[in-house]
Amino acid sequence: MTAQSTLDPARRTTRPAPAGHPLAGAVAAEWTKLWSVRSTWWTLLAAVLTMTATSVQLAIYARNGNTDDDPANDSGVVDVGEIVAGSLELTQYVVLALGLFAITSEFATGTIRTTLRCTPSRGRVLAAKASVVGAVTFGLGLLLGTVGAVVARPVLGEWGRAPLGGTVADVVACAAYLALVGVLALGLAAALRGAVLTLTVLFALLMIVPLSLQEPDITVLTRIADAFPGVAGNHFLAGDTEPYPAAAGLLLLAAWTATALALGRWALARRDA
Amino acid sequence: MITLRALTKRFGDVTAVDDLTVDIRPGQVTGFLGPNGAGKSTTMRMVLGLDRPTAGQALVNGRDYRTLRHPLHEVGALLDATGVHPARSGVAHLRAMARSNGVPARRVTEVLDLVGLDARAAGKPGRALSLGMGQRLGIAGALLGDPPVLLLDEPVNGLDPDGVRWIRGFTRRLADEGRTVLVSSHLMSEMQQTADRVVVLGRGRLVADAPLAELIAARPAASVRVRGPEPAALAALGDRLAAEGATVTAADGGMAVAGSTAGRVGDLAYEMGVRLHELTPVAPSLEEAFLELTADSVEYAAGPTGGDTR
Repeated sequence: MTAQSTLDPARRTTRPAPAGHPLAGAVAAEWTKLWSVRSTWWTLLAAVLTMTATSVQLAIYARNGNTDDDPANDSGVVDVGEIVAGSLELTQYVVLALGLFAITSEFATGTIRTTLRCTPSRGRVLAAKASVVGAVTFGLGLLLGTVGAVVARPVLGEWGRAPLGGTVADVVACAAYLALVGVLALGLAAALRGAVLTLTVLFALLMIVPLSLQEPDITVLTRIADAFPGVAGNHFLAGDTEPYPAAAGLLLLAAWTATALALGRWALARRDA
Repeated sequence: MITLRALTKRFGDVTAVDDLTVDIRPGQVTGFLGPNGAGKSTTMRMVLGLDRPTAGQALVNGRDYRTLRHPLHEVGALLDATGVHPARSGVAHLRAMARSNGVPARRVTEVLDLVGLDARAAGKPGRALSLGMGQRLGIAGALLGDPPVLLLDEPVNGLDPDGVRWIRGFTRRLADEGRTVLVSSHLMSEMQQTADRVVVLGRGRLVADAPLAELIAARPAASVRVRGPEPAALAALGDRLAAEGATVTAADGGMAVAGSTAGRVGDLAYEMGVRLHELTPVAPSLEEAFLELTADSVEYAAGPTGGDTR
């Protein structure tokens, strides 16, 4: 072994420039890294289980509401898409973990230094992570939406409907929502570094602050709440027309995601690794 | 080639690296020496674009690391922490690195072979790797892109004697292949075995930048340790040596003779009929030369173990 040359035998005489765009390489590396730790698979499993449980629960609520003696809580026949969107409110936190851990685990273990040595451009690192997190959370969203619809439909029975076109659109919308919040979590985590801190801020942004603003039912405060990413996402998922069209909700959420990424990139470039 | 120009790094009030200007040349092993906390690791991190210099420049082959598109083909590095995720296998770690820089997958197997890690060891998750295996994996990662420049931060840390010998031979071979090899250590004796040239840091400042031979030549003079069972006879021998111009000092149970040779002392003892139990030429180590150089700059006493923090 000691006599063996350390040189790459294929390049002993010439040193051709490596092929491929560095962003493509960075994406491939992130993909490899994501699937080579078991926690990714556990997270996927947890997301599917949470989605299943929440969808069944919401479907039972809807059916019970229609069949009990209280007419005030009757929701009538509901689209499964509605159940699916409602289930995301909880399930999204499991999916967020994917975006979050894509970078906080690197800060925590020091592997961020390996990553930055392989890909020195901070923007490229974040773009690669965002591509992988976005693609995986979108795919997971499709799976979760389908699982939610499939388990909710039989539970709803006569009180549910699942028109093919509408349900598919709802599932795709769920996937888009999860991809955007997943990447939002990534960007925020790149800026804040710690998993716990990032999760706390995400809870506040997606739930606690807008909920507190909506609680007193004062128009001004409710309008402010409408600008928060989670609320914007809900308006998008519900296909609302008020206070803004569903597409505007999607754009607003996307703007939050873009801002979080910009913040993360700025922090990565500025701080020593 | 690594070029440092007025490189400076401050962390708050602490100046970790202070106005460092050095060229690290190809084809030789350059030892990067200094007590713990002298700024070696910080300098290396700046070369790798991990820390931003407060002032000055750190260039690799004339370029800023952060502007490199496929840096693993330009610079390989082993940092004090090998940078493997505790839950990821060594092989997956290398595969991800390789893919990021367009290195073909077969090169992963090659470098694992080179550093002597078998499939079983490379398949273990990061947390299950011993320090020695981690170091070998780190070196495998450094070699992935077949880079002309290598930075190894305390590579012998945690290695068994076999591993240490292996690293020595390995760095030698890398330099003989024409690469630029910078090896940091807080152990001078280590450098004495491997380095062609040494760059010594103390408190972030350049203390010495010279060929190893020159540094050794500048060290305290060699001496001969002499011991015998008859103190009186030994004293007489000492007087004769002193009369010849040697410097004789008493040293535990015997004497140290500077300015003479073991041969001369032995001949004289034979001639005078003095019984000797020990006659040892003592070459002052690089350690001593180094301690002298950095005596004023030691930030805190260097213990026998432990790498730099961070």
